[in-house]
Amino acid sequence: MVSEPKNRISERALTVWRISGSIQTLFMLLFSGGMIGLTVKFEWPNWIIWIAILLLIAYAYLIIYLFPSLKWKRWRYEVREQEIELQRGIFIITRTLVPMVRVQHVDTQQGPLLRKYKLATVTVSTAATIHEIPALELEEAEEIRLFISRLARVADEDV
Amino acid sequence: MFEPKRLHPITAVLSFFKQLKELFFPFMVFIFLGTRDNEGISSFVLVIGATGILLLLLIKGILSWYRFTYRIEDNELRIEYGLFVTKKRYIPFERIQSLDLSEGILHRPFQLVKVKVETAGSNGIEDAEGVLTAIKKEEAEAIQEIFAASKRMQKDKGLNETEIQVEDNIIYQATPKELFILASTSGGVGVVISAVLAFIFQFEEIIPYERVFKGLEEFVTSGLVFVSLVLFVGFLFAWIIALIATMIKYANFTVRKVGEDLVITRGLLERRQFTIPIKRIQAIRISENIVRQPIGYATVIVESAGGSSVNEESSKVVLLPVIKKSKIQALIEPFLTEYLFTDDFKTVPRRSFIRYLFRGWIYVIPLIIIPILIFKLWGLLSSILFLLVSSIWSYLKYKDAGWDIQQLQLSLRYRTLVKHTVFMKRYKIQSFSFRESYFQRKKKLATVEASVKSGLGGTGGTVIDLNKEDVLEIYKWYSSERRLSPTETNLDTETK
Repeated sequence: MVSEPKNRISERALTVWRISGSIQTLFMLLFSGGMIGLTVKFEWPNWIIWIAILLLIAYAYLIIYLFPSLKWKRWRYEVREQEIELQRGIFIITRTLVPMVRVQHVDTQQGPLLRKYKLATVTVSTAATIHEIPALELEEAEEIRLFISRLARVADEDV
Repeated sequence: MFEPKRLHPITAVLSFFKQLKELFFPFMVFIFLGTRDNEGISSFVLVIGATGILLLLLIKGILSWYRFTYRIEDNELRIEYGLFVTKKRYIPFERIQSLDLSEGILHRPFQLVKVKVETAGSNGIEDAEGVLTAIKKEEAEAIQEIFAASKRMQKDKGLNETEIQVEDNIIYQATPKELFILASTSGGVGVVISAVLAFIFQFEEIIPYERVFKGLEEFVTSGLVFVSLVLFVGFLFAWIIALIATMIKYANFTVRKVGEDLVITRGLLERRQFTIPIKRIQAIRISENIVRQPIGYATVIVESAGGSSVNEESSKVVLLPVIKKSKIQALIEPFLTEYLFTDDFKTVPRRSFIRYLFRGWIYVIPLIIIPILIFKLWGLLSSILFLLVSSIWSYLKYKDAGWDIQQLQLSLRYRTLVKHTVFMKRYKIQSFSFRESYFQRKKKLATVEASVKSGLGGTGGTVIDLNKEDVLEIYKWYSSERRLSPTETNLDTETK
């Protein structure tokens, strides 16, 4: 059995995901509100209102509470001398290997939310694929970026 | 060679036609909209406008031909062009991957060729390559000569300056029988039929529907046999057109090995030539479509790292358009020595079958329920048919899924509609993933995915529901640090 990658992403990722989940829920609220408004105005059957409310609650529960927790629990990464290993997924768990020699470039990026919480996302690109490690502590992200870019270059000169 | 040269004047005509082609549909829309309401634009204005645009296009074509010059200087191909803004593009020879030649119908009478310069997949930069639309054949040959010479120089830097004889071996030539099989089993028929339909609908307004329908009524009453006969003849006709078109396109299909490159030439009216440097080949794919598989024929496709955003087709090159499957190994192995074309695959475990079956059924459920609701008993019959077809298809997918590892090679086999077998070298695989859902985990199954570079993007293979143990074996094989014997790692440090 292959063991899990070692490192977890920052715990503040949970907060960030919950906030962005809340923002998404606002859109759902708009939709549900609209549905309820229309139902009242045109005197549609009452069960539509109940369904709209139920949907909203379920959506909020999943996207604000359940999914971020599951996602965070599952997210693991490990950057080693020769390869990067990632594990992610909510229902479907995906494990990915990226050899250092294949890495073409590595970026860190921050949206406004991530910046507020001093987090950054690291993106690793190969010639064919792009891989993302979301919401790492800023210093850690910076460190990883330097580490990968150095190793990627070393590997290239080795050929 | 060093003084700036212009392309052949036919370039102006070519670019005129090209722009005309691009304008065809907007033009049509314009005309139809114009003629719809009579109080709008009068036909006189329309004609004037159209001629004006045509004239402008022609002038533009001539001017851009006049402004376009190319020359070879300091081991660079230097192109200068631009109507209002002068653009200069210098392409150093060492950055050029290959020169692709093609001849259109307009090229042939004047002994001209179109030269396309392929550079090393310059990431994302739009049209980062040079195209010489029409130059004399001798001229193109001279450029090729200079390019080849400079390439040789690069290679034997430090070695003796001995002239190395470039080998030129014909590897494969399509026989007429193979061409016929290729043409008769390709999907070209559908294209012809839909093209005809699209063409008819373009002139929807002109067709006198009332008269047609009246004629149709008489036609249908004249007997079912007659109608089906006409339909049959129609399809036969479309099939023959598609057959001829494909045969012309692939006529004289030849693969040669020139030095370290594979050179593919094909075509009767429009001659095309592709060059693929062997070391840029990322993976080899054998595809068997549903018609060719039963008669034992397959297509061999080469995934190459070449190609830019403008030129998608040079990343997936058809190496052997149609070939008896049993012959592939003997034909390819001599020049793609790294690849082993095994047919010995480890298949998915029996417990995956039920998952394959259910996955197929999910898609047909709407197709099953709706007929039952609408047509009742007859609907039930058609539903059973759908279910049966889906089950057979799922069974084929289940049977074809498989994998194999031979030293540094991973082979994946899977079916979409077409059966694919992909051969990848470990040092060409860009990344490798496996994934498992909750249900897969319970049954100890997982899905694998390997990606290789193809043109600007990626491609590769995915096999669903493999045995988890097998998946971990592949994972360990791919990992440099998770494997047991570290001695092999020296072999695969080579990059693409």
